Amino acid sequence: MILSLRLALSGLVLAGLALLALRIDSAGGQSRQLAFALLTGGALGVVVQRARFCFLCNLRDLVEARDPRGVLSILAALGTGLLGYFIIFGMWLPTPSADRLPPTAHIGPVSVALALGAFAFGIGMATAGSCISAHFYRLGEGNIASLFALAGAFVGFVLGFMSWNRLFMADLTDGPVIWLPHHLGYGGSLALSLAALAVLTAFVLRHGHAIPRPPSGSHGPVAGFRSVFVERWPPVLGGVLVGVIGTFAYLRLAPLGVTSQLGTWARKSASSVHLLPDTLYSLDTFRGCATALTDAFLTPNGYLVGGLVFGSFGAALASGKFTLAIPSLRQVARSLLGGILMGWGAMTALGCTVGVLLSGIQAGALAGWVFLVFCTAGAVGGLLVLRRIESRASS
Amino acid sequence: MTLKSWLGGAVLAISTSLPVLAAEEGPLVSADWLQQNLDNPKVRVFEVSVDPGVYERGHIPGAVNIRWHTDLVDPVRRDIASEENFEKLLGAAGVDKDTTIVLYGDNNNWFAAWGAWVFNVYGQGDRVKLLDGGRKLWEAKGLPLDSSVPSYTETKVDVPAADKSLRARFPDVLKVAEGEDKNTKLVDIRSPKEFSGEIVAPEGFKELAVRAGHIPTAVNFPWAKAVNEDGTFKSKEDLQKAFAEIGIDGSQPIITYCRIGERSSHTWFALARILGYQVKNYDGSWTEYGNSVGAPITNLAGTVWQGK
Repeated sequence: MILSLRLALSGLVLAGLALLALRIDSAGGQSRQLAFALLTGGALGVVVQRARFCFLCNLRDLVEARDPRGVLSILAALGTGLLGYFIIFGMWLPTPSADRLPPTAHIGPVSVALALGAFAFGIGMATAGSCISAHFYRLGEGNIASLFALAGAFVGFVLGFMSWNRLFMADLTDGPVIWLPHHLGYGGSLALSLAALAVLTAFVLRHGHAIPRPPSGSHGPVAGFRSVFVERWPPVLGGVLVGVIGTFAYLRLAPLGVTSQLGTWARKSASSVHLLPDTLYSLDTFRGCATALTDAFLTPNGYLVGGLVFGSFGAALASGKFTLAIPSLRQVARSLLGGILMGWGAMTALGCTVGVLLSGIQAGALAGWVFLVFCTAGAVGGLLVLRRIESRASS
Repeated sequence: MTLKSWLGGAVLAISTSLPVLAAEEGPLVSADWLQQNLDNPKVRVFEVSVDPGVYERGHIPGAVNIRWHTDLVDPVRRDIASEENFEKLLGAAGVDKDTTIVLYGDNNNWFAAWGAWVFNVYGQGDRVKLLDGGRKLWEAKGLPLDSSVPSYTETKVDVPAADKSLRARFPDVLKVAEGEDKNTKLVDIRSPKEFSGEIVAPEGFKELAVRAGHIPTAVNFPWAKAVNEDGTFKSKEDLQKAFAEIGIDGSQPIITYCRIGERSSHTWFALARILGYQVKNYDGSWTEYGNSVGAPITNLAGTVWQGK
């Protein structure tokens, strides 16, 4: 398809999203929040699609091809968001006094369940080819396999709710809620977190190969156009934008997360067929991608995720990345299985790579770092094992 | 300045301040009145919202945040905030003897009304007002919100001991239930399903009582019947009529209750502050009564607690 036609279609989709937001906004009151959620999701969808901000793909690039760019973009998102969050904290909670947490920030308990959930999530994303957020944006790119991964995640969530009380009774879900500013103040927490990111950045740069920028064949307005609408955005720029969007989302709406709506649907459906116990012990008291106890079919998180899929769809149309990809049976099986692992992991860890890793580390929560460690371990382990299985199958 | 222009200015000042004074008279202030009085140093606004992050993401400019779970209650025993802590709260907000206190919040002012009740228990009287329509109406009107936290010069506040005439305790309620006190009327403001005993707690809330039903002799008046679509209270006449229909006309003392005592504060406010009836709020409410051993209960639906 020629570029101008693709751009027109993309413009149409994004304008449609904006019009829908305007329509929702015009109802006033609480609806304004929903419109904001839709637009924030749309912006996030455009950025992650254009910058290919995908936790697993970025990690795989580093591990398998020693391409550091993607992981650097995640680190950039964490650093930018940290600064943004701490600017907000300073205003909302002038002193990080011992008995308070900044409202709604994803500061969950550091528990065995968190580590288990994050590890399972890591294996799941290696199996399914992307984490949950990336499956949402890849759905916008026409990747049908993502539907199976998300369906798997739904099942995984139900399994997570079913196993929750058992984990609780085994004393695995409870743990200290560690918010770094309680112990180090705002300055100390920021310095330590940024230093940790700097160490990771140094490691990634040492480990990776320098990737030369592809020589652009032409100059002038057409080349500029292509670099915005067709070529992948510089990953660090994408990361910074994700950090900025995360900050604005926290300021106006809630910390970024992509599983709350999915979890809410899973919990409601499983409850309605009596799969779940009446009480999930202390689940609703923890911070994180909580499942909303509401009668509304769509929560603000649902609007955000819907916006993400549509934003990515619009961006993918322009860049020519939209292709309806029909998965093979093998892909379907892998997506489903990986999705189940991710769903169970995200439920048990109270969020995923976005809700706990990104929004947690940005908020100064130790739980975010714990998720980072165990999820990375699970993903790298999963990639290695899968590679071995595949090479055995082909030999 | 000539005497004439001075007088003219004084007349103008009085005439423009007149509607302001008029609106201040009752127990409610309108969003428009509050908007005009945001810079008035003699008006202090408090937000009492239940959802976390609501105040921080944007509140009425200059409003002080009250955290319902810690600031207005005793964090250890089940009780309202201690006199000492309440004085600290008012002092930190710079409340003076002649300050008009305006409370508002999310969820139809439920928790703001609870706040108003606590303020009244501690003798703050008619200067305690609710913003009619609460946060919902303020937002619906598109009025400005601010996210900066104000700081005020601290004042020294002395409040009288808690006024027991505004608060019903378990023995008071038991006397009515057992027929010993035939004079007092009980108003249960929970939903009809909670009142009838069909459910123990509203949808989405944790069950906190091990018995379903209501206190014998209570009449049901779901709190929402006291408000209009936009969240503002119904007119005094309409309220009078609506309560008279269920036999509440102010000729006898009244006790309001709900599940944990906050929604009933909203009805307490309507009955006591708007209609001027003699009303106590029973903040122990169903979570205390429905768990007490040996107290009579009317359970129309016959729901049996299953221990889940």
